[in-house]
Amino acid sequence: MKTMDQVLQDWEAVIGLEIHCELTELETKMFCGCKLEFGAEPNTHTCPVCLGLPGALPVPNKAAIESIVLAGLATNCDIEKHTMFYRKGYMYPDMAKNFQTTQGPKAFAMRGWLDLDVDGKGAEERVEVRDLAAGDEANGATRTETGYTTHIGITRIHMEEDAGKMVHLGGGEGRIDGATHSLVDYNRAGTPLMELVTEPDLRTPEEARLFMQKLRQVYLCLGISDCSLEEGSMRADGNISLRRRGETEFGTRTEMKNINSFKALHDALAYEICRQAEVLEEGGTVVQETRHWDPATKRTISMRVKETADDYRMFPDPDLAPYDLSDEFIEGVRAKLPELPDQKVARFQRSWGLSAYDARHVIEHRETTQFFETAMAQAGPDAEKFAKPLANLIINDLAARMNADEGFDLATSALTPARALELLGLQIADTISSKQAKEVLEVVLAEDKDPAAIVEERGMKQVSDTGAIEAVVDAVLAANPDKVDEYKGGKTGLLGFFVGQCMKEMKGQGNPKLINQLLEQKLQ
Amino acid sequence: MTEHVTKADVRRIAEYARIGLTDDELPQMTEDLNSIIDSLKPITEYDLEGVEPTFHPIGDLSNVMREDVEGLSFTQEEALSNAPAKQDGSFLIPSILGGGDAS
Amino acid sequence: MSSFDYSALSVDDIRSGLAAGDFKARDIAEAALTCIEAADASINAFLQVTPDAAFAAAEAVDAAVAAGKLDTLGPLAGVPVGFKDNMNLLGTRTTCGSRMLENYESMYTATCVQRVLDAGGLPMGKLNMDEFAFGSSTETSAFGTTKNPWDLERVPGGSSGGSAAAVAAGMTPVTLGSDTGGSIRQPASFCGVVGVKPTYGLVSRYGVVAFGSSLDQVGPFARNVRDAALALNALVGHDDKDCTSQPCSTDFTANLNEGVEGMRIGIVPVFMTAEGLEPEVGEAVLGAIQKLAAAGAEIVEVDLPNAAAAMSAYYVIGPCEAFSNLSRFDSVRYGFRDPGHADLGSQYEASRSGGFGAEARRRIMLGSYLLSAGVYNTYYYPAQQVRTLITDDYRMAFGECDCILAPASPRTAFKFGEISDPATMYLSDIFTISINIAGNGGMSVPLGLGSDSGLPVSAQLICPWFEDEKMLRVAAALEREYGAAPIAPSYADLTASSGEPAPSSDLGGE
Repeated sequence: MKTMDQVLQDWEAVIGLEIHCELTELETKMFCGCKLEFGAEPNTHTCPVCLGLPGALPVPNKAAIESIVLAGLATNCDIEKHTMFYRKGYMYPDMAKNFQTTQGPKAFAMRGWLDLDVDGKGAEERVEVRDLAAGDEANGATRTETGYTTHIGITRIHMEEDAGKMVHLGGGEGRIDGATHSLVDYNRAGTPLMELVTEPDLRTPEEARLFMQKLRQVYLCLGISDCSLEEGSMRADGNISLRRRGETEFGTRTEMKNINSFKALHDALAYEICRQAEVLEEGGTVVQETRHWDPATKRTISMRVKETADDYRMFPDPDLAPYDLSDEFIEGVRAKLPELPDQKVARFQRSWGLSAYDARHVIEHRETTQFFETAMAQAGPDAEKFAKPLANLIINDLAARMNADEGFDLATSALTPARALELLGLQIADTISSKQAKEVLEVVLAEDKDPAAIVEERGMKQVSDTGAIEAVVDAVLAANPDKVDEYKGGKTGLLGFFVGQCMKEMKGQGNPKLINQLLEQKLQ
Repeated sequence: MTEHVTKADVRRIAEYARIGLTDDELPQMTEDLNSIIDSLKPITEYDLEGVEPTFHPIGDLSNVMREDVEGLSFTQEEALSNAPAKQDGSFLIPSILGGGDAS
Repeated sequence: MSSFDYSALSVDDIRSGLAAGDFKARDIAEAALTCIEAADASINAFLQVTPDAAFAAAEAVDAAVAAGKLDTLGPLAGVPVGFKDNMNLLGTRTTCGSRMLENYESMYTATCVQRVLDAGGLPMGKLNMDEFAFGSSTETSAFGTTKNPWDLERVPGGSSGGSAAAVAAGMTPVTLGSDTGGSIRQPASFCGVVGVKPTYGLVSRYGVVAFGSSLDQVGPFARNVRDAALALNALVGHDDKDCTSQPCSTDFTANLNEGVEGMRIGIVPVFMTAEGLEPEVGEAVLGAIQKLAAAGAEIVEVDLPNAAAAMSAYYVIGPCEAFSNLSRFDSVRYGFRDPGHADLGSQYEASRSGGFGAEARRRIMLGSYLLSAGVYNTYYYPAQQVRTLITDDYRMAFGECDCILAPASPRTAFKFGEISDPATMYLSDIFTISINIAGNGGMSVPLGLGSDSGLPVSAQLICPWFEDEKMLRVAAALEREYGAAPIAPSYADLTASSGEPAPSSDLGGE
């Protein structure tokens, strides 16, 4: 198979997402008062309604409707005042009533959008913008200094209910095929579930990944869901087709369902791009089907091909009153909108002079956002001075640590925002070097002590005394006459060697800036 | 009588509705359905241009919701009390895709 | 204390008897059980009798009376009540007359049942019905037919046949039924009792096994209008478990004695000339019109131009909703499971074809077809548009009258097996169906016996949305002309002297 990069020279990928998200932050289910709780003993959170007992009737959870309106407003959607719940029929044992209560042609939220800022390596996937100058546009993507921005349409966000969970017995690794029996647990049945459907506006796997990530940020910011991909409270279906560059017709698409990690979403779509291109370039046709992403083999596998189109026998649910949302209701929800990620980025740029890139990455996690905001508030009049170093600390050290170590919880770690400021203060004042700062950070986290105390205790203070440094510089130059000659002969790359030797002599405590300056003077 | 549905249609309808229908029952069911569908003809002959449908009787009812407050739930034992088969606190069903043992 | 004529007691009689210490609620429960035992052997109205629940409720009533707190008890204090077997009552089986639910034990109690209990009613048991309420004769029950107390060779009507027959035979003064297209009014008519289908939304549907969710409504059967009104007082009002239920603070007994003077009673000419309307029924209804006119009502003709399409709209909407409502019967969580299946698909099909009877299967199939892609827009959507027209018709008609008088059923009770063709059976409900389509209230009120058949004949009264007290007022006026519904003659003696108060020493002090 060709690489994705090769494929995308000739083909354009057209990607759409359906992202399901459970409203885990609510107390109770969508249509009954059963408690929402992940991981409880099976069938301990059920009642006549969510078990689908004869005679039971649904009553919608007002907080769920508020949540989806909030989600709609946060994603620039129009709120549809007049909507209804529908029954979507299919007999499957995890669906207690054998129909899912969902919405019909009109959803609570419709016609929204999110803008994506794509930068770094991921921006390279969009081949047509690589060589553009900043500000230029191609295919709806506008080149920026660090990558590009693009506009992703949201078709709708509708309200529905989740199904129960099944355990399949007797087959391999709990798989449904080969199983002899299954166990059904209805605790999850009836969990409020929002389904967001995008327009087919995404063009690369990276954009799909970023879209889901950004949506997750928005939902987390709204406080409506824990958005846990691991526990399945947020999951995506991706559909993708290819078309020759320049064509406007859509190709035949395939769909990948229930993808539960950002990486899997990216990799599954990337694989499909290559696979479909191979099929098409060999003169074949892509079969419209659902394919399963197997992370172990890193490929998608065809599921059973459906013989006929689904026919869900949808009709308006007579048990549920239609909606006629008032302006008052909608404005009441709007008043609860918190500062959204894009607004936060703008504020960080405006107030602290952060770059858009730094601001976006600082707010990638709720914990880092909180950390940054608290520290900035504590920094007082000096805040602006700390902003960039703090952003670096968060992006390069803390976020990296969070990604690498699941057990690391910034909020409860020994590094408080106050200690971070103290640490950065030492660095800004040239009391310690950036290298030493990293060491101090490790000690803070390991031993739960203040940075200043650590520096004091370990004698880690940076030597900025010009006389002391000059003595070391002279000694180093004297000990390496041949290298000095080579340097003077044009091998200026040796400067690093001399700096290293000086630092070694000074046990890492010399001020690297001063060492550099003095070396350059003396070697001239 | 117009043949609105053929025996093959009725077979498919039954499969969708998960109603087992023997070959013997098929002709009668097909005849019954065609006879009933015939009687629905007035619906198809109405001029309904511009008429809004009434999906919910008593038209002014809207926005009926409950507060997000926990109510009573069944214990596991209660939830499973009518289960035709159960195991490990769950409802037990035979193989979904087929290929299980008869239980 | 003397023995009392249990089956002659009205709801008011029971209350005053309790107040006077003539009997205790326990005596009433015992009398009801004796009466059920005597009468039901030949009628088969009850699928299940619940003496323990009845005695427990009676004990609570007696304790309240003993404490001088009868006033705190609701309108049905000490009144034996039977429930159609599609109503959940914790601790009973709720079968819906179907094999599918033969062993289904209710896991909760329906709101309407709970309200009867809260009002002091004594739960006597569960009553036979057409399977899942699909039928007009109670012949589709999986647990045998119920006989009409007026003629054991005839059907009691349906689907609430057990509820109508139990009242007609004097077994209980009040029962509850449900009405989707006439299932209270038609059996009430066949058995010669009062049967009320309130305005949609007046009584909670929570816990009543759904047939057609936008059509179903629960209501009482009784032998007189006042008893029905008292039962309604107990039943109505908003239930936060049913989105379609509405608040109501009406006292339905308040204007029963006001008479009809000055009221405008609407007559629908097309109903009076409908094909299939038997002459004796038409005559009786015309007689009722004359009596109302004589009592001072103004009789006006009103038009329901789209009523003729109600039948077809109903046979679209009803089966579609039923198909969806009955999809939950899948042998997974409860209900009949055909044994021995290695895969779920064959278990589904065998369980659903084995658990559902012929009529239920037919309606499920019909709904599945009517909702399928491409067909939906041919039938379902236009049926709901027709519903708008019919609803508008009634609204217009009620601009010209306070209440409509019509036949309840085109004929009197027919014999078992007399009607076997589904389409003909569906015609039993030609006068009742449009009311469910529009959501209005309707009720049957007895007009004595037919001149030809000698069987009970009824009029139907139809009211504007949430003005059910108007039709009860007219019904009370008719009752003054025709008398309250008698117990069917063969059962009048059988159940008359069954009340025997227990020695007071058994029952604690007063």
